[in-house]
Amino acid sequence: MPEYEVAARAVLRALGIELEIVQQATCCGSPVVESFTADWVYLAAYNLALVEQMGHSTIVTVCGGCTNTLTRAARALQDPDLRAEVNHRLESLGLSVTGRVEVRHLVRLLAEREEKVRARIVHPLSLRVALTNPCQVFRPGDIMGFDDPMEPQSLRRLVELTGAEVVEYGGEDECCGATLYLASPDLALAAGRRKLEAVQEADLLLHGCGNCQLLLRRFQRMIVRDERNLRKPALLLPQLVGLAMGLPEGELGLREGTWR
Amino acid sequence: MNHPDECLQCGTCVTVCPVEMVGGHAIVTFLADPDATDYSVWLCTSCWRCQEACPGGVSIYELMMEQRRREEAPAGYRAAFESVLACGLALQVPQEELDQMRAAWGLEPTRLPPPGLARALLCAEDGDRW
Repeated sequence: MPEYEVAARAVLRALGIELEIVQQATCCGSPVVESFTADWVYLAAYNLALVEQMGHSTIVTVCGGCTNTLTRAARALQDPDLRAEVNHRLESLGLSVTGRVEVRHLVRLLAEREEKVRARIVHPLSLRVALTNPCQVFRPGDIMGFDDPMEPQSLRRLVELTGAEVVEYGGEDECCGATLYLASPDLALAAGRRKLEAVQEADLLLHGCGNCQLLLRRFQRMIVRDERNLRKPALLLPQLVGLAMGLPEGELGLREGTWR
Repeated sequence: MNHPDECLQCGTCVTVCPVEMVGGHAIVTFLADPDATDYSVWLCTSCWRCQEACPGGVSIYELMMEQRRREEAPAGYRAAFESVLACGLALQVPQEELDQMRAAWGLEPTRLPPPGLARALLCAEDGDRW
């Protein structure tokens, strides 16, 4: 989903943060690899090792799954025995890992800079927004250590910073359907439909995870088919924040005038 | 799958499960009723809500993952895993296509991981298990 990276970079640049891509990164491993082998942590550790090799102490993620997997792997690597085993396997690649990399999902990165974001808002938005909390960014609470794990507020607060009104529809923590799609496409589309039916008062859907955006935007036509009245535009968090910062649509991965 | 001793069968997990909310039955159905058969550990979305809410402190996520490793995977999961083993990514994309796509969006080039790297990392000690 290149538009997510485009918009995230634009918003972070406005806040004075430049991102560098992790070359040769693999899939983080979750939930797919973890479903087949307890060795998933080796794949996650490889990606953390690449970040350490770059000399960085933080990796920024835009996917809930990567956030969750990499954070749990970093925690697991605090065990010296596991760390030694992992490093033994990484050695042939010329890599090593300490697991001391901070994993920051974009929602958290922005939430931890709320005042900086607020100061950059120059074009408050007059929109009614229905949000979906990224499900893997806040739990398990004792490992993620951020926000209220069962009733997270950070995404709502960020949306409110843009001037947009958050429409409460009761499904903020319900499944978008994306992960369900791997096991049951029918149930996944039913989950997406349940959301679209519940958010009719809103002008648009707002997502903090690329998977939610994938199911509810790219797959939306599979969900609603001919029912045009159920269709909704869907934006990613940095696209909404960027618009409120006055950044041009084209720099946020939005086609001018067509996303509404 | 053994029913965990710490489970109180209180059903809290069922009430917070997003899969149950849309009519599916995930591992929480089995936790609330050990005799249940109409559920699948593959429907879990890895949202961790059940484990967070569990008053008995059951490690539901690990229980679910351990059971997945004992079962035959649905086609979608199997295909994604095979792709990771082959190229390191759950969805395969050729380097040339990735370069063109990123250039079109004005993004810096990204090099894909070497083929076989993920397989080597995951299978180093155990031979070709998969």
